[in-house]
Amino acid sequence: MAEKLIEMKNITKEFPGVVANDNVSIDIKEGEIHAIVGENGAGKSTLMKILYGLYKPDSGQIYFKGNPVEIKSPLDAIRLGIGMVHQHFMLVPSFTVAENIVLGVEPRRRRIFTDYNRAVKMTEELSEEYGLKVDPHARVESLSVGIQQRIEILKVLHKGADIIILDEPTAVLTPQETEELFRVIRRLVDKLGKTVIIITHKLQEVLALSDRVTVMRQGKMVGTLKTQDANEQILAEMMVGREVLFEELEKKDVAREEVLRVNNIKARDNRGLLALRGVSFSLHSGEILGIAGVEGNGQSELVEVLTGLRQVEEGTFTINGIEATNMDPLQIRELGVSHIPEDRLSRGLSVDATITENMIIGNHRKEPYAVRGIHLNRKKIRERTKRLIKEYDVRTPSQDIVAGNLSGGNMQKMIVAREFSFDSKILIVAQPTRGIDIGAIEFVHKEIIEKRNEGAAILLVSADLDEIFRLSDRIITLYEGQITGEFLNKEISKKEIGLYMTGKAKGLN
Amino acid sequence: MLKEVINLTLLQHTIRTATPLILAALGGLLTQHAGILNIGMEGMILLGAFFGIVGSYFFSSSLAGTLLAVAIGILVGLLFAYFVIDLKSDEFIIGIAINMLAGGLTIFLLRSIFGVKGAFSSPDIVPLPRFNMGFLEGIPILDTLLNNHTVFVYVSWILVVLVYVYLYKTPYGIWLRAAGEFPEALETAGVSPRKMQYISSILCGIFCGLAGVHLSLGYLTLFTENMSANRGFIALAAIIFGRAHPIKTLIAAFMFGFFDALGIRLQVVGIPSQFTQMIPYLGTIVVLFVVAKSQLARKKRAIEGEAHNE
Amino acid sequence: MKKEKVEYLISLFLSIFAALIIGGFIMLANGRNPIVGFNALINGAIGSKYKIATTLAKTVPLILTGLATSISFRSGIFNIGGEGQLYLGAFGAALVGITLINLPGLIGIPLALLVSAIAGGLYALLPAILRVKYNIDEVIVTIMLNTVAVLLTGYLVNYPFAADVGKLGATEIIGEGYHLSRLVRLSTLNTSIFHVIVITIIMYYLLERTSIGYEIKMVGQNMNFSRYGGINVKRRMIFAMVVSGILCGIAGAFEVLGVHYRFLQHISPGYAWDGMLIALIVKNNPLGVVLMALFFGALKTGSISMENATGIPSELISVIQSIIILFIAGEAGFKDKIKGYFARKRLSKKAGEKNA
Repeated sequence: MAEKLIEMKNITKEFPGVVANDNVSIDIKEGEIHAIVGENGAGKSTLMKILYGLYKPDSGQIYFKGNPVEIKSPLDAIRLGIGMVHQHFMLVPSFTVAENIVLGVEPRRRRIFTDYNRAVKMTEELSEEYGLKVDPHARVESLSVGIQQRIEILKVLHKGADIIILDEPTAVLTPQETEELFRVIRRLVDKLGKTVIIITHKLQEVLALSDRVTVMRQGKMVGTLKTQDANEQILAEMMVGREVLFEELEKKDVAREEVLRVNNIKARDNRGLLALRGVSFSLHSGEILGIAGVEGNGQSELVEVLTGLRQVEEGTFTINGIEATNMDPLQIRELGVSHIPEDRLSRGLSVDATITENMIIGNHRKEPYAVRGIHLNRKKIRERTKRLIKEYDVRTPSQDIVAGNLSGGNMQKMIVAREFSFDSKILIVAQPTRGIDIGAIEFVHKEIIEKRNEGAAILLVSADLDEIFRLSDRIITLYEGQITGEFLNKEISKKEIGLYMTGKAKGLN
Repeated sequence: MLKEVINLTLLQHTIRTATPLILAALGGLLTQHAGILNIGMEGMILLGAFFGIVGSYFFSSSLAGTLLAVAIGILVGLLFAYFVIDLKSDEFIIGIAINMLAGGLTIFLLRSIFGVKGAFSSPDIVPLPRFNMGFLEGIPILDTLLNNHTVFVYVSWILVVLVYVYLYKTPYGIWLRAAGEFPEALETAGVSPRKMQYISSILCGIFCGLAGVHLSLGYLTLFTENMSANRGFIALAAIIFGRAHPIKTLIAAFMFGFFDALGIRLQVVGIPSQFTQMIPYLGTIVVLFVVAKSQLARKKRAIEGEAHNE
Repeated sequence: MKKEKVEYLISLFLSIFAALIIGGFIMLANGRNPIVGFNALINGAIGSKYKIATTLAKTVPLILTGLATSISFRSGIFNIGGEGQLYLGAFGAALVGITLINLPGLIGIPLALLVSAIAGGLYALLPAILRVKYNIDEVIVTIMLNTVAVLLTGYLVNYPFAADVGKLGATEIIGEGYHLSRLVRLSTLNTSIFHVIVITIIMYYLLERTSIGYEIKMVGQNMNFSRYGGINVKRRMIFAMVVSGILCGIAGAFEVLGVHYRFLQHISPGYAWDGMLIALIVKNNPLGVVLMALFFGALKTGSISMENATGIPSELISVIQSIIILFIAGEAGFKDKIKGYFARKRLSKKAGEKNA
């Protein structure tokens, strides 16, 4: 029976506006591959960063081989033999592979000079020993993502890590690179006796690779099981299931007319890789079209394309018959489109601006709020803000407080208030209830249904399957930038849809 | 008339003029590598010049002046680092504040300590010693050009080599560069980027202090108000021109020193010097533009490269 | 919002107070009585009609450059090139005044102001485009352009446009029609102050009451949010930068038209730097700029009388000013550190209670 190598007990960590880890306890056994799964914001990364000494927990205790330890910085973690390969690589781009691997522990000549030759040799030896081929002299910035990850792993091994934490390692890899990584991990564990913790939200990988899996959700520990006892459905339910049963929301029959048509859109993401590989669909008034898919399959880019925040590589889309491809956000808004962005903090609001200032954007050049488009009518603006705060239940002592001081749920309600107040015919809504409390979720869902009943066309992008199923009339699944399935809500079940979301099944009605 | 202007003396003059630029630029490029843009070098040089005179006057030794200037430089470097790194203030606000502080303080102290306005000089001030390299005596061109310069001239060249070695051949230099380029990587490796930034700021203060001492104790033992005369900004230009690489920055500093010296000589023969003096500044903008364009081109090529692979 | 404003004002007063205390200590160290010194300072600033006039006169360039900085910093693009824009504006105004020498004031003055505005605005447009199109850091570019402008005008004033007789490094005197009338005998206070009041009102209105001002503010706070909301971020940044340049150019013009009646080689002792620091201290608030400019102007005027009366060098004021800047610049950081300290104490207390 393998020893409990690491135990984290009752770990709590708060950040402004969110409880990242809420009384989480987990144990890691020696020589196992332990997967930690959960949706974005579940708290998996935070937990492991605490283990690696990058964060200090607000409360809780860590035990190593049965002894309580304090890990105050990565140095302490390294000393215990814990190494972490981050989701975003910690490699200095202009340095060579060898320089990056020995960073911080450079071999010396005469105590003050770097012995670069020895660094190169060490890199080659490591590369041989662990079967990870790298060129010591290459500059990191010129290397592919897969190779960069290899360097990160070698770095960690070089520092003598016996426990290796991998944070979302396959997020940026191609399928072949992922296969390669799995081979490496198996080798590390089986042949070299390492312990591996892998943080991921990709369920197939968990099932293919791990010995045990821990599920986290919204900062809390849901449970740990042996992988052989688990399957995708069980894990998915644990990841996104809620305790509260939602009431059925009434949907009216509304006339359907096509308002948005997307034709074979191809677009690149910020790294220059193709995120959308030919997406086509149409959206009608009075319907909610849900885009289901695990994050990172092109949803963000799709939303950005449709709201004027990203150029397309190929393809077109029309709004009410008008060609809208590559228009800027202002033009798109003028065509009657509103957008609730997936990242409210970086895009949906300005944390330093007051609620009033946050609410008026998009209307700030329109009558009656701006006379002739220039002179701001403060009275009308404040009246409107007051009204919207009330209508959308934004809990705040006044409209003059700075938006950054609102809770997540109230921030979201403020954004919903603003975007829904345009009376737009098309609403693009991305991750509308991420990270907010149950009450706020209910409210937002009710508002979305109401808009639908009034005849608006709503495109709903969400990683939360419960939300998708509760709200959507039709559902499209997106996988690796392509549509793998299109269904009516009642035609498909939550269990089946997972297959389409993960590319295991493909079919278009 | 051209011979009056362009001759060996001009080159000798260039070497003298370039020295404070080299020293300050070395300091500035260290902070640059650590990720901090220091526009307060102007003030740091000025303080160095002033306290160099103070030390030399009261202790009758240029070494005392140098040490005092270095001590003040360390203090200013610490101040700069504390505000920018620990208090997270904007680096150029602090830089401007240091420039203003140095300007006001030096003039104030000029009055309070020496009781004069405008400039201070005295036969009691000991200048920096000259260094005679015996083996150069008698060799025609090299003797005039390279021999008998103030000690700091040679020191500056040695420092260029030392800084180069520090940055590229020691782990400490690697850590410094990592602190500026990707501090998180350094942090996860267990080294504190903050410490590196502090060190770079202190070194910058020291080097700018030395630059100032060279100005006030180098040839005429004299301090004039606002003596740094934009050299802090020329040093900044040299750093950008030289892409923060010690050798390239050295060359840039020499070039700018040349134009400065040239300007003075042109002035003497009645030709307007302003256009040659403009060259470092305009040149820097051109360099920035060229670099930006090439970066854009590189990005475009990278994306097109990806497109090919698909 | 209110709470933060009050907190900030308290920090501001504390900083000024602390800086003045330090100034007092420096006076003591110099063997002077600080009370006498400060008394002379205050007296020198507002002690007589002439002194008040001089104080007001000094605020003119400070308000303009302060407003210039405000609008630029608000939009997130940092115009450090105020000095250069001021010099070009000043020269432009002088050029009009000495070439079209016989124009009556009614046409001449607006023309000169227009030329100076264009000069300053265009000179700011260049770094703005470089930043918006090529992502070139405007801080470095504007600093470099400062010296270029000073050198260029230095050349122009010493060679092609040098005065025939008399002063070195100056142009001829501008035509009579261009002279802005003096308001108080023997002081340099002139009708430019009225122009400045109007400009301040316009800038206040622009920044606080128009959709353009709103857009500028949002762009400075969060570019992603602004773009998402339909604001043309690039256009707003360029606009802010150009207006900033225009204001500095006009500041230069007033030095020529109101104070010196000619262009001088070193016409600005760093007005743009002062204006920049003023704007930073008041966090880019237009009304705050006026008040702080008055304060700085008073300090400058008072310091001269202080020196005459007590022998304390007037440069002490620069020292005090820079100390205020340092405290204000570090204010956010200080606050965070203090808050962090108390938060940790609270947490350890909580943990202590839990374990008890």
